[in-house]
Amino acid sequence: MMAISRRLTFGAAVTALACGDIAAPVRGDLYEWRLEAPSIPGPGLDTLSFHWDRNDLPVRVWVEDTDDLPGHVARALDVWESVFLYREFEGTLVSDSTTADVIVLRGAAGPKLRMKRLHSALAPECAGATDLDIDVANTELRLPIRVFIDPRSLPDDPGIESCLALTTIHEMGHALGIFAHSPDPEDIMFADPEVELPSARDRRTAEAVYHTPPTLQVVRP
Amino acid sequence: MLRPYLIPALLLAAGPGALGAQTDYYARVGVVGASTLVRDVLGTEISVRQSIAPMVTAGAAMAISPEYRAGIEATLASGGFDAEQNGGETALGTIRTASVLLGLDGPIWRSVRWRAGLGGILYWPSEDRGIFLQGGPVRFLAGGGADWRRPVMSSWDLMVSARYDFHRFTTDELERRGFSQAQGVSRVSLSVGLARGTR
Repeated sequence: MMAISRRLTFGAAVTALACGDIAAPVRGDLYEWRLEAPSIPGPGLDTLSFHWDRNDLPVRVWVEDTDDLPGHVARALDVWESVFLYREFEGTLVSDSTTADVIVLRGAAGPKLRMKRLHSALAPECAGATDLDIDVANTELRLPIRVFIDPRSLPDDPGIESCLALTTIHEMGHALGIFAHSPDPEDIMFADPEVELPSARDRRTAEAVYHTPPTLQVVRP
Repeated sequence: MLRPYLIPALLLAAGPGALGAQTDYYARVGVVGASTLVRDVLGTEISVRQSIAPMVTAGAAMAISPEYRAGIEATLASGGFDAEQNGGETALGTIRTASVLLGLDGPIWRSVRWRAGLGGILYWPSEDRGIFLQGGPVRFLAGGGADWRRPVMSSWDLMVSARYDFHRFTTDELERRGFSQAQGVSRVSLSVGLARGTR
């Protein structure tokens, strides 16, 4: 009996060693990332989702060269790229704003035309906003996406650098397709972000964005 | 990180002198193919696979009895890997692997010999990102195969080899994200080269 038992144990161990596969985690605990916009013609709301297609990568980002904004944006792109396991998103800085998919400007957002505006980071040190130009039928996203980073205090004020860093990551989160705010202050996509990096929930939400069919198609000028 | 590349060179350099006349040493080139590295589900199933990769192998073996030899074999391979979902593929970069097997070989029939061994495999990605964000893993490896040799010069043999090895793959980044267990990865290689030493 002992010999049979040993053989069975050995066989079970070999089978477990050889046959078990990696088990992917269940990605629950997300927040709503889609943008709600009035249906045209009404009534009701359309739920709009977007992600950059693989053929659009790397997303071309032009940044106004002031207040170390290019450095903050480059880091924000690295941070968001590292969120993904399978290269779903990549961005690169470009020097020609006329070919950019995303334009990042210093200062407060200007007058809103027919754009959807996502306000963020209402800290005393800095603020951010992202403008999305979506057509009235809610099917097209006209490029470029415009991001505004507004340092509201002097460059050497304490807290300004970290505020710019996390606000830039937050706004680039909108630019990659997270069009809504998290209700949880522990997420970088909280409306007034406090944390410095995307949380596990931000990461799972970003993954969901890139593995859900988009309702918006990009249109270049 | 260059150390894996030094192993075959050291083996070749050490072969004729230090290990003496009882030592058999060889080098081969070939190709290696591997099964799926990672299976994931994000909406639909995603598979991460390595492409068929060129490889170079070097090894040495010493007689421990009239029929059996103990040896070491090191293999380097470098190739692309990609993620496949819904029929579309995304290139994820390049992976180099370095593996070392310590093992035994013995006769099967005429010029054909079996080989079996245990060792390790190091994954060395070109970029620390995605599933390799926290670097490449080192995993235990078990393998075996067969060698066929035919004399082509006074002291050199043509050597043709087939190998199979198995290890379980995961990375620190996958574990951090909640992946459990590890993926069984099988590799098969075919290679050809030259061997020198005992016959």
